[in-house]
Amino acid sequence: MSIKYQSQKIAEYFYTFAVVLFLVQVVVGIIAALQFIWPSFFILNFNTIRTLHINALVVWLLTGLMGATYYVVPEESETELWSLPLAKLQFWATVVAITAVVLGYIWMGLNPQANSPIMGITPLNEGREYIEAPRWADVLIVISVLLFLFINFMTMLKTKKWTGIQGTLIGGLTVLALMYLPGMFYTKSMVKDQFWWWWVVHLWVEGAWEVIAGALLAFMLMKVVGARREVVEKWMYIEVGFVMFTGILGTGHHYYWIGTPGYWLWVGGIFSSLEPLPLLFMVWDAFRTTREARNVENRAGLYYTVAHAIFNFVGAGLWGVIHTLPQINKWTHGTQITTAHGHLAFYGAYVLLVLAMIYITLPAIRGVKAFNASRAFQSFWWMTISMVFIVLTITGAGMVQVYMERLMGLDYVAVKANYNMWFWILRAIFGVGFLIGVGIFVIDFFRLGKEPAPAVTAAPERL
Amino acid sequence: MSNKAARNLFILGSLFFFAIFLGLTYDTMGKLDKRAPEITEQVNAGKMVWHKYDCIGCHTILGNGSYFAPDLTKATERKPKGYLKRFLMDPKSANPNASMPKLGIRDEEADDLIAFLDWNSKVDTNGWPPKPILAAAGGVAGKELTEGQKLYQSLGCAACHLIDGIGGTTGPELTTVGARRDRAWLIGHFKNPEEYVKNSAMPKVEAPEADIEKLADYMITLK
Ligand code: HEM
Ligand code: HEM
Ligand SMILES: [Fe+2]
Repeated sequence: MSIKYQSQKIAEYFYTFAVVLFLVQVVVGIIAALQFIWPSFFILNFNTIRTLHINALVVWLLTGLMGATYYVVPEESETELWSLPLAKLQFWATVVAITAVVLGYIWMGLNPQANSPIMGITPLNEGREYIEAPRWADVLIVISVLLFLFINFMTMLKTKKWTGIQGTLIGGLTVLALMYLPGMFYTKSMVKDQFWWWWVVHLWVEGAWEVIAGALLAFMLMKVVGARREVVEKWMYIEVGFVMFTGILGTGHHYYWIGTPGYWLWVGGIFSSLEPLPLLFMVWDAFRTTREARNVENRAGLYYTVAHAIFNFVGAGLWGVIHTLPQINKWTHGTQITTAHGHLAFYGAYVLLVLAMIYITLPAIRGVKAFNASRAFQSFWWMTISMVFIVLTITGAGMVQVYMERLMGLDYVAVKANYNMWFWILRAIFGVGFLIGVGIFVIDFFRLGKEPAPAVTAAPERL
Repeated sequence: MSNKAARNLFILGSLFFFAIFLGLTYDTMGKLDKRAPEITEQVNAGKMVWHKYDCIGCHTILGNGSYFAPDLTKATERKPKGYLKRFLMDPKSANPNASMPKLGIRDEEADDLIAFLDWNSKVDTNGWPPKPILAAAGGVAGKELTEGQKLYQSLGCAACHLIDGIGGTTGPELTTVGARRDRAWLIGHFKNPEEYVKNSAMPKVEAPEADIEKLADYMITLK
């Protein structure tokens, strides 16, 4: 495995930053889990810890996807990147901006008064979930993403290959950039605030990001098992098409109870129930394509690719659809059921996607022929088993919460502090298991290809 | 189907559904203001305070946010405003068991926040949060409720107090209050809590004399 175009190496910069943030995200997640048991466990309050946890998540996934894109576009366009120095500048500008934002969160956590509005704008933390980044940072983020899109677009213009994969990838990324804008203005009404907020959050994870995932899935299937382009691209179009047909109006599943008109119960209920379908197509696509595969060199890559397809369906599709009908969501809305779904969906759909892309492209970037995949498998099982148990634990906590608080009318705090305590303890324990998996992965990331050639898995295997 | 046809289906179909979504959004925007009270200067100021302290980092409102602390959509319906204000400025002074930190919320910020929360509680949310069905069924196991029990429910005492595991944790538990207090103390305390408990966060019980007595009668049965 080796790269054809030197500028593809830029991907590793982005991957490295992503991997470090992944570690931060999970360490901070464990602190958050401990605060469920001891609320004043850490110098920073839960809100700051949670902000760091989910922002680290979103940012590392995005940087991971940027790295992957910088790898895919030269390969598909069969040319060097339009400007490598500009891509490097974009990378470092992103790192600096993100670091500044994080320092701002911590400062605000230590001294909330530092976040007092200046001319009607909170300078350190916008106080809106996922898009906490303050307005000045929004502007920097938009500039960085536009620069990123521009570099890739110019690269594509050099050879005008317009392959389906890169077209869909860049299309998804463009929608991603556009859908950041509805979160960038202030509204006096909390209802409108949440209405536009869901444009960002929902149309990202159930729209633009799934389109990106569809394009990368097609790319990965071609890479690991040498699937034929015409076939994977056709299925890709069908998959991402159905993602959009169901996902756009599926936004309605967030407009049941926030002060929006009643017709959203119908629109959201019907369309979001169909959202698992394209995710099921992707599982089928992955199985069909890999079943006949014979000479798979990169077994770790194959493993992560198929796992991504499966857990995308389970986490987003199944754990999403169970609470998406208004009759059920009325009781589960805003409970631990939501957290359980959020974790498995992000893990299956996007964590495994970025890790799969790393395992497929990094060996080529580092120029290794074959690598020992045993650490990749170990980290996979540590992470996946732990995540499944975190999700089952929190689903249990959610069921207890829905029954006792929502159906019986017990006080929120009583349920959380008495009846659900064991679930919090178990989650924290499985969290440590997850951290072990991440630790193994991080070691593997930094060592891959830098150790003496392995004895095992070098020979092509029969599946 | 050719690849080109599949691609066109994807692009045109996406645009089609997005157009419908835009249309619905337009319609919704025209309806939202009618489904909520007017937004006064104070409500807006309260919303800024809400963002400043990142309240959504622990709480949900309208069901969205974090699941670490209670949903605040109906906070002003469930808790007396005087209590809320004290709690916001210094949680432990209002409820010694509170785990919310003292954030430094100032006097007028607390007033603004309460106006903001009050606005949210009046938004037409299509009936969310739903009334607990099991509790609403009342008179557990077919037993008739006494007058005092009915008053306890209708006056909303359970928002703050716990009896046999049901109710709020803001005030002291009442499961065995009858063993601790006598009837005269209870009646006097209902009329003016602060006279009996220094700095009490409990609001006066606003009810006719006869009801206050019935409530006290119920309390002394709790042993
Ligand atoms: C990869 C795709 C997905 C990701 C990453 C994802 C993630 C999330 C997250 C993080 C939340 C919580 C948002 C918050 O903090 O308030 C959420 C809410 C929700 N998701 Fe998903 N989701 C995905 C796909 C789906 C799908 C396909 C469905 C339906 C079939 C679905 C149904 C829901 C519902 C109904 C809620 C609202 C829960 C509530 O009312 O509290 N999700 N999702
Ligand atoms: C060691 C592992 C982890 C632990 C202990 C952990 C713990 C937590 C806790 C305590 C919360 C706050 C939930 C609340 O507000 O009630 C949270 C939120 C969240 N975490 Fe994690 N987390 C872990 C790993 C992850 C991973 C790997 C992902 C992504 C795949 C993730 C994604 C999220 C998201 C999206 C939220 C916010 C949305 C929600 O609560 O539904 N976490 N996490
Ligand atoms: Fe959604």
